[in-house]
Amino acid sequence: MSLKDLVAPFMVWGRALQKPYTQKNPIITRPGADRYRGFHVNDIHKCVGCGTCEEICQNEAIDLVPVDGIETKHGDSGLRPKIDYGRCCWCALCVDICPTSSLGMSNEYIWIDSNPEVFRFIPGAENKTWDNSKKGYRRGEGYDLLEGQRVPMPMLSFEESQKTFIEMVQGFSREQALREADRCVSCGLCIATCPAHMDVPGYINAIRNDDMEEGLRIVYEANPLPASCGRVCSHACEDVCVMKHKGDALSIRWLKRYIVDRIYKGDYEKILSTGEAKNGKKVAIIGSGPGGLAAAYYLSLLGYEVTVYDSNEKAGGMIRYGIPEYRLPYEQVDKDIDYIKSLGVKIVQNTKIGEDLDFMELYNNNNAVFFSTGLKDPYGLDIPGEEFPGVTSGLSLLDDVTIGKTPDLGKSVVVVGGGNVAMDAARTSRRLNCEVTILYRRRIEDMPADVEEIHESQEEGCIIETQAIPLRIVKGDKTRLKLYWGRAEMVTDPKGGRPRPVLIEGSEEVIECDTVIPAIGQQADYSFLPEEIVNNIKFNRGMVEVNEYKQTGDLKIFAGGDIVNFKKDAISAIANGHSAAKGIDLYLNQL
Amino acid sequence: MVEKGCANLFTRSQKHINDNPKLPPIVNGRAKYNLESGKYLKIWQGPQHPGITGNMSLELTVCGDEIVDCKTHVGYLHRGFEKLMERRKYMQCFPIVCRIAVPEPDFNEYLFAATVEELAGIEAPERALWIRTLNLEMARLASFFMWLGGQSGSFGMNTQGQWTVTMRDYILDRFEELSGGRIYHMYMIPGGVRADLPSGFENRLLDTLKTCEKCLDDVELTMFNNSIFKKRSKGLGIIHPDIVDEFGITGPNARAAGFKRDLRKDEPYLKYDQLDFEIITGIDSDAYTRARVRLQEMYQSIDLIRQILAKMPKTGSFFTKLPNVLHWNIPEGQIYKKAECTRGEYGYYLRSDGSDKPRRIYVRGPSYTHAVSLMERLCIGGNISDTAGLMVSLHTYPPEVER
Amino acid sequence: MNIELYKNLENSFGVTSLEVKNRNQSYIRVKKEMAVPLITHLKLVESYKHLSFFTIIDQIEKGEFELLYMLHSYSRNHDLGIIVSIERHETDMESIHHLWPAAETYQRELREMFGVEFPDSPGLYENFCLEGWEGIPPMRREFDTKRYSEDTFYKRPGRETNDPAKYMKEKIYPSEAETW
Repeated sequence: MSLKDLVAPFMVWGRALQKPYTQKNPIITRPGADRYRGFHVNDIHKCVGCGTCEEICQNEAIDLVPVDGIETKHGDSGLRPKIDYGRCCWCALCVDICPTSSLGMSNEYIWIDSNPEVFRFIPGAENKTWDNSKKGYRRGEGYDLLEGQRVPMPMLSFEESQKTFIEMVQGFSREQALREADRCVSCGLCIATCPAHMDVPGYINAIRNDDMEEGLRIVYEANPLPASCGRVCSHACEDVCVMKHKGDALSIRWLKRYIVDRIYKGDYEKILSTGEAKNGKKVAIIGSGPGGLAAAYYLSLLGYEVTVYDSNEKAGGMIRYGIPEYRLPYEQVDKDIDYIKSLGVKIVQNTKIGEDLDFMELYNNNNAVFFSTGLKDPYGLDIPGEEFPGVTSGLSLLDDVTIGKTPDLGKSVVVVGGGNVAMDAARTSRRLNCEVTILYRRRIEDMPADVEEIHESQEEGCIIETQAIPLRIVKGDKTRLKLYWGRAEMVTDPKGGRPRPVLIEGSEEVIECDTVIPAIGQQADYSFLPEEIVNNIKFNRGMVEVNEYKQTGDLKIFAGGDIVNFKKDAISAIANGHSAAKGIDLYLNQL
Repeated sequence: MVEKGCANLFTRSQKHINDNPKLPPIVNGRAKYNLESGKYLKIWQGPQHPGITGNMSLELTVCGDEIVDCKTHVGYLHRGFEKLMERRKYMQCFPIVCRIAVPEPDFNEYLFAATVEELAGIEAPERALWIRTLNLEMARLASFFMWLGGQSGSFGMNTQGQWTVTMRDYILDRFEELSGGRIYHMYMIPGGVRADLPSGFENRLLDTLKTCEKCLDDVELTMFNNSIFKKRSKGLGIIHPDIVDEFGITGPNARAAGFKRDLRKDEPYLKYDQLDFEIITGIDSDAYTRARVRLQEMYQSIDLIRQILAKMPKTGSFFTKLPNVLHWNIPEGQIYKKAECTRGEYGYYLRSDGSDKPRRIYVRGPSYTHAVSLMERLCIGGNISDTAGLMVSLHTYPPEVER
Repeated sequence: MNIELYKNLENSFGVTSLEVKNRNQSYIRVKKEMAVPLITHLKLVESYKHLSFFTIIDQIEKGEFELLYMLHSYSRNHDLGIIVSIERHETDMESIHHLWPAAETYQRELREMFGVEFPDSPGLYENFCLEGWEGIPPMRREFDTKRYSEDTFYKRPGRETNDPAKYMKEKIYPSEAETW
């Protein structure tokens, strides 16, 4: 033992005079670090209750519960996370994964209570001192567990696309589809918003598992026209997708299309169920649009003998005649329809009820009748000069192109309207080598057409004039016609409705053109219904009134499609057809 | 060899055992004695013991104050992490792994992330690797500080324990700033790290290092030059170089026996190949030498942190995008990744069956051999009052034994 | 792992399925009866002196346990994993405690956690961390931890959760016929 060993311990006596390390709590409180993972905060108005936090929580500490004052609506389940602090381990994975970034953590870490039940709490819904804390853990820049950007869809370039009727959207490759499907958090908020309530997370999961057959089965449970819907569906689901809060919604529509594209038509029979044995009852369906076809499919699965009557040469209704080929190729419509036909559904073409066949004959010879005749009569512009040659409705242009006629459009075209039909007519005219101008009464953001369609038509060279009201059409000098139109200003509605366009007095402009295509909407034609039936059925502003089974005032008659619902899109018609099938089954089994 | 158990592998203890008529004979690798004879007494040390050996206990059989048999009992911290991880998605395992070694969770986080990244074919960005290296060295320092307190405390010197635990807390303050947690940092996630260094972090860390260095100087004066400590630790628990491989001894315990083995040098991971340091070894292989080696490694660790701060890139991405972690399937395969933690070779073995949950994760903690088979033999023939000091000098953490 | 050594081992011990992970790590497979002779050879002749760990992977679908001996050679700076498949219902395996005294702890734990027996391993039947455990060895795949905890402990009362999709159906479209 050296002297140093004896002396050394005494060489640090100076420490006795130092300030103590410890802090006198609670006299001095020490706040957590800026990034401290303390008690949770949640902006419950930003939160949409998707449940992804619950999904990632490895402790099962999170429940989703209803909260007073938060309503369930589209894109928001109305549920909010409730965290059990008896289980939580403050790993903050819930904060990291929260798609809306509403969840966070404060830097508070002291909470004393004698009642253990309070430690199971809903952050943001119970007043806590740390609710508005800006400090504490938040997901930082440069770190993200989810992917906000969608996989770009391969498309024809706009230079190419405006010259051809080849399908513009080319579809995902396997690798792209897997990558896109991977972004889904499987929350299921979209199911409520899809008019047909398709199990979207289910089929996306099937894509991830690379099990297309399972995917097709799930799709057909709610939608017998997936090849068409996978292309032209109005995809309300994508508007409520939680991934939209991070950037882009999932490409739900393209993923559905991917499933169908990967399966050969001939293999459907092996994959899908062919339904129950025939029960001998007969149902007649008028109109072979999406509503009629969906009803036919589900009725035939239930064992009914189904005959569809249609006035056109080919089945499909609007999805064949109203949607141009570059958006929905005819062979895809055929793919859907051929499978429905293969189940034994009879489709009688070129037969117009009321002209070729009496409605009462169907009524009397069948156990039930479903009609989904759609909106076929285009509204006129109600301006002078409408009757001139060279004025033709958008629908009849699309019709002509579908049946193979080459319409005489001249060199320049003016389309009036802002819906999908207007866009389709404009882009079709573009493909027929015309200069195209679109006139619309309101602003671009008011256009009812899909955002993609508006964007694509602009990119393809259509000029959009907004707040433009057509005034009159006269014969032109160099061109066939001249369209005079006036500028409108938007007047806010005192009742709170959407702003109305009002013509600015004295403003007047002119476009010289060869063709004017009004595409401002259509109405239904019920002339095929005999009077005694019409008396039983209730109508409301041109639409048929039905109950939840799509049953009309005449118990034997069911209706669906654009004449019944306000959404007026293919997927709603399909949903109507499906409910009507269930309703008819219920009605006939009660007899 | 089998009949006599392993006792003959110990030079000092073995001689002791052979010469000592008090010690019972060994049959089938286990001491055989008759408790009824009145010669022996069974006592328990732990599971709650102030010697900071963690929650494990030693079932000691003593003859007088001399230990004739020892059996380690673990299980007080058994939470079945390996099993739990088999039932969780990969990302859900991430908050679990840090619990496998409480005083330095970062090695678990790093190794888990590294195995997953390797099998998934993901590479963490350059800056993330540097931050991880920094993190691991900080963890090493904090863990050694805690050990230092335990080592001095177990020999009856409580003052140094107060200081070093404070120093550890200062480092934990830095961890709190960096990761949001003091103990369980949950910072090194597969793909990189969860956040960038906060602004001004480097300077605050350098200040902390200065304080720590000052404290280490004081500890060296008062502990390593303290005659009590010297007297009690020199010659205690000698690990003969011959048994180092037989018992799978790694880390400072092996280096104190003269083995120049350090995974940071031998199989450099992260950014250790760009850091300048030497492997610290000792000769005597007793408790004192082991403490010395660790003290020097603490100084080395401070130096390494300074090097890292000087060399690391100041900006850049720190996280590589992962596939959606809610359904992240890792391709089939197996990998074993290891790192040099304060106690030796820490390793994670991951077997994936291609699903979204691991098929098997095995955690190799160095305490597994140090605290059980080695400890059971080292303390035989020793004095009961030295047991706690001996155990701490092996630097064991029970949670990594039971996992 | 150098290919020469592998060829050697292939000839003398019938090892198969060399899987090279990187310069420092490989895995090989060997039959049960050749396992301990191979390990002995590797330890005594080929400098694989360090037993990194020894564990089991339950391949319940194949009805097998895969025993994994992870050896390390300091001089070669190489990890060598030796995988030995044994039948799940015939769980005897030769012990290696004579090579590494530390192996007895591994074997004690594996007996407790997987039910694999290593005859002659000292203290094999002593408790490792489960005292008084009577159920099936808990690390086996068929042992369901969640079921066990549900059977053994009670749930905290008052916890209930809702599935967003189902909840929204109840709230927004309870009566739409197509979803029946």
